[in-house]
Amino acid sequence: MNSKTLGYILKRLGLAILTVWVVITVTFFVMHAVPGGPFTSEKAISAAAEAQLKAKYGLDKPLMTQYGTYLKDIVTKFDFGPSLKQRGRTVIVIIKDGMKTSAKLGIIAAFLALIVGVVLGSVAALRRNKAVDKIIMVITTAFVSMPSFIMGALLLLLFAVKLRLFPANGSTPAGLVLPIITLALYPMAYITRLTRSSMLDVLGQDYIRTAKAKGVSQKKIIFGHALKNSLIPVITYFGPMLAYIVTGSLVVEQVFAVPGIGRAFVSSITNRDYPMIMGTTIILASLIVIMNLVSDIMYKVVDPRITLE
Amino acid sequence: MKKMLSMLLVLAMAISMLAGCGKDEADGTSINVCLSSEPDTIDPALNSAVDGATMLAHLFAGLAKWSQDSKGNLAIVPDCAEALPEGVVGADGKVTYTYTLKKGLKWSDGKDLTAKDFEFAWKRAAGDELGADYGYMFEVVDGYPNNLNVKATSDNTLVVVLANSVAYWNELLAFPTYYPVREDVVADEAWATEAKTYVCNGAYTITKWDHNSVIELTKNKNYVNADEVTMGKINFYLSDDANNMLSNFKNGEWLLIDDVPTNEIATLKKDYPTEFVVAGQIGTYYVCWNINEEILPAGSNLKGEAAEAARAEIRAAIGLLYDRNYIVEEIGQAGQVPASSFVAMGMTNPDGTQFYKTAGNNAGFDGYYDVSTGALKSNFDKAVEVLKKYYNWDGSKFTNFPTLTYLYNTSEGHKAIGEYLQSAMATVGITMNLENQEWNTFLNTRKDGQYSIARNGWLADYNDPICFLDMWTTESGNNDVQFGKDGHKNLKMYNLDLTSLGYSTKVVNGTWAETFDVLISTIKGCTDNNKRFEMMHIAEDMLMSTGCIVPLYYYTDLYMVDDSVKGFFSNPLGYKYFMYTTIEK
Repeated sequence: MNSKTLGYILKRLGLAILTVWVVITVTFFVMHAVPGGPFTSEKAISAAAEAQLKAKYGLDKPLMTQYGTYLKDIVTKFDFGPSLKQRGRTVIVIIKDGMKTSAKLGIIAAFLALIVGVVLGSVAALRRNKAVDKIIMVITTAFVSMPSFIMGALLLLLFAVKLRLFPANGSTPAGLVLPIITLALYPMAYITRLTRSSMLDVLGQDYIRTAKAKGVSQKKIIFGHALKNSLIPVITYFGPMLAYIVTGSLVVEQVFAVPGIGRAFVSSITNRDYPMIMGTTIILASLIVIMNLVSDIMYKVVDPRITLE
Repeated sequence: MKKMLSMLLVLAMAISMLAGCGKDEADGTSINVCLSSEPDTIDPALNSAVDGATMLAHLFAGLAKWSQDSKGNLAIVPDCAEALPEGVVGADGKVTYTYTLKKGLKWSDGKDLTAKDFEFAWKRAAGDELGADYGYMFEVVDGYPNNLNVKATSDNTLVVVLANSVAYWNELLAFPTYYPVREDVVADEAWATEAKTYVCNGAYTITKWDHNSVIELTKNKNYVNADEVTMGKINFYLSDDANNMLSNFKNGEWLLIDDVPTNEIATLKKDYPTEFVVAGQIGTYYVCWNINEEILPAGSNLKGEAAEAARAEIRAAIGLLYDRNYIVEEIGQAGQVPASSFVAMGMTNPDGTQFYKTAGNNAGFDGYYDVSTGALKSNFDKAVEVLKKYYNWDGSKFTNFPTLTYLYNTSEGHKAIGEYLQSAMATVGITMNLENQEWNTFLNTRKDGQYSIARNGWLADYNDPICFLDMWTTESGNNDVQFGKDGHKNLKMYNLDLTSLGYSTKVVNGTWAETFDVLISTIKGCTDNNKRFEMMHIAEDMLMSTGCIVPLYYYTDLYMVDDSVKGFFSNPLGYKYFMYTTIEK
């Protein structure tokens, strides 16, 4: 790795930290500006009890002080504080718990999308305008245009309720199959289309024609030359795909009752569980920022023509 | 192409085999149910939710518990206590109860359970330091909140002193807030969040807790009445998505689900006639007005008390425009009952009759007005007659009624009701806009009185009408109407005469605080149950006379339970009991 690349990475890392800090700050103040609070409930508690709770969690202090304490605790102790709703549990523990499932869901979905997408895309390109190509294109168009909550509901109805092949809740490993498929379908379809067009583009290049003319076998052309080069756009899609999977999991986890971080995030907002809102936001934001960075760096690795600055 | 198809087939088979592995083997000694999502807490002192209470009823044993006899009647019976004796009334009106605990009580970790654990738990739950939602459940005990008069006089004797006699005391003993906890266990603030630190004394213990996924309860051998428990394992699945619950019920995974999608109710009623259950629930869905909201026409010369008297009459009249039968039959569709009083159906008088049937003027109907379909026309005419006194009537509608805004929390059901109310008022020319807010924001707005008219609802915490009445005192945190606050604070227009009941209280033209607040504290201090109920009727009369509370219907509890489940029951507060169930296919 030369110093130029290293400098670029450091610069991007700095930017990433700045981005996360902006997210923290905006979320913190917007969250406190929204009416309602963590101790608001239909059956109101006494004013004395509420005051004691607020004092206990430091919510009686001025907002700027709370903000300062919060940042300090994160930076110096990596302490995200206690959950105000699930009393006795810390935000870190809840996030770790949810992350276990969500990460499994996301990583498998990403790989599934990548592998199936690249294979289908290549097949479609090599069989251009044949029946297989047309079928693949019709199906992927459908998947790209269907929102995940509809896709999820359809899969649930067909495979869980009618055929009873899978459980309808994500509490067991088997229950994760349908949510993974739901989550993977959109990026898979997108990658298929991306691979197909980029593969067609590469197959039309002069160096492929030269290789063909020199009598290089079809297999070697595809795997040795065409595939690697046609994957560049797919890699650029890696970042947005991860963002999609992270945000998509909010919906999918709800539909399939998967105990992931997406559900924790949504419920923390309705509960005004301030430390939980902050914790999940920071984790999700960091994830997206880091993955975009990784995808940019990989971009460079697969295509030496690209310079990073 | 053929090859691809066969590959797909193999893949599908492999996946479906995987699916088989995850399933629990249903051998009849375990039951899968789903009430709601992960409970906020299952610390008995901190819980205030119905789903949490159901879990706690399986995990803990208080002095008393709910039980169902062979005829299906519910009763409160002793659990940890040997018996539930009558209290002894002292000269000062305070009532002393002495309980003897059963022999051999143990915690789930094998340690002995003593009366001291009850004393500790009650003081902890009631005190301000914990700030529990349901701390006020101990309000009836002498010394509430911070010096609770309860004492363990020996290892198996508990003495508690109530400020006065309380009709529903035994029921409170079965309430989760009254369950025992052990001091060294709860010293760890996170004790009630993991299976391994959770120590309890009831029919079950927690053997597995996958957060946001499932809580597994296994029969507790140390439970004092363990031989009565028939169900070996209960899996509480954690989801709050009604559509997902229904999918799991339909495919046979979950045998009871506590929620169903509103738009499916009609179909489910038809397709699952024996499994779709509509149970009674003590609660009222109502509309509340902000008492300080000006609704008189611009230029009205009414001031002060006279203006408020007029507004009360107007609000009550508008309440007559609504067709409650339409709301329950066309919108609710879940067996709700049109309401003619605020204190809900299910609350009973000392003689066992329904409280709402003896409320109001009872001129040929129950409650405060006639909600039958036959009375629609006369109610409408009556309302128009009253409104004509204050607003201009052009022969078909009122032309100078100020525009109102109806506030509700975002939900399809509440919206549909809002739209109906809007259309009912439009028939007489009153314009009402609809505004919805997200739940937590909504609660805040309503509590602060930043609204003119809003959706509201109240579910009973225990079986006594006072829990519908004491929420309307001036300083109550649930006083959404804003009685006795701001402009209403200084209006001297309410009367209270308790002399016929043997009290010296007689107020003519007093403020809300001088009348209603005094009445509620008199009720709370009253030891004569008949007088107490008479005063509670007076309190409801006062509330209804303001026109600020417009009951629409009494709630019902909807759930689905598989036909194979036998021995299941639920109580009027909506707690569900699985410990005595068996599965018969």
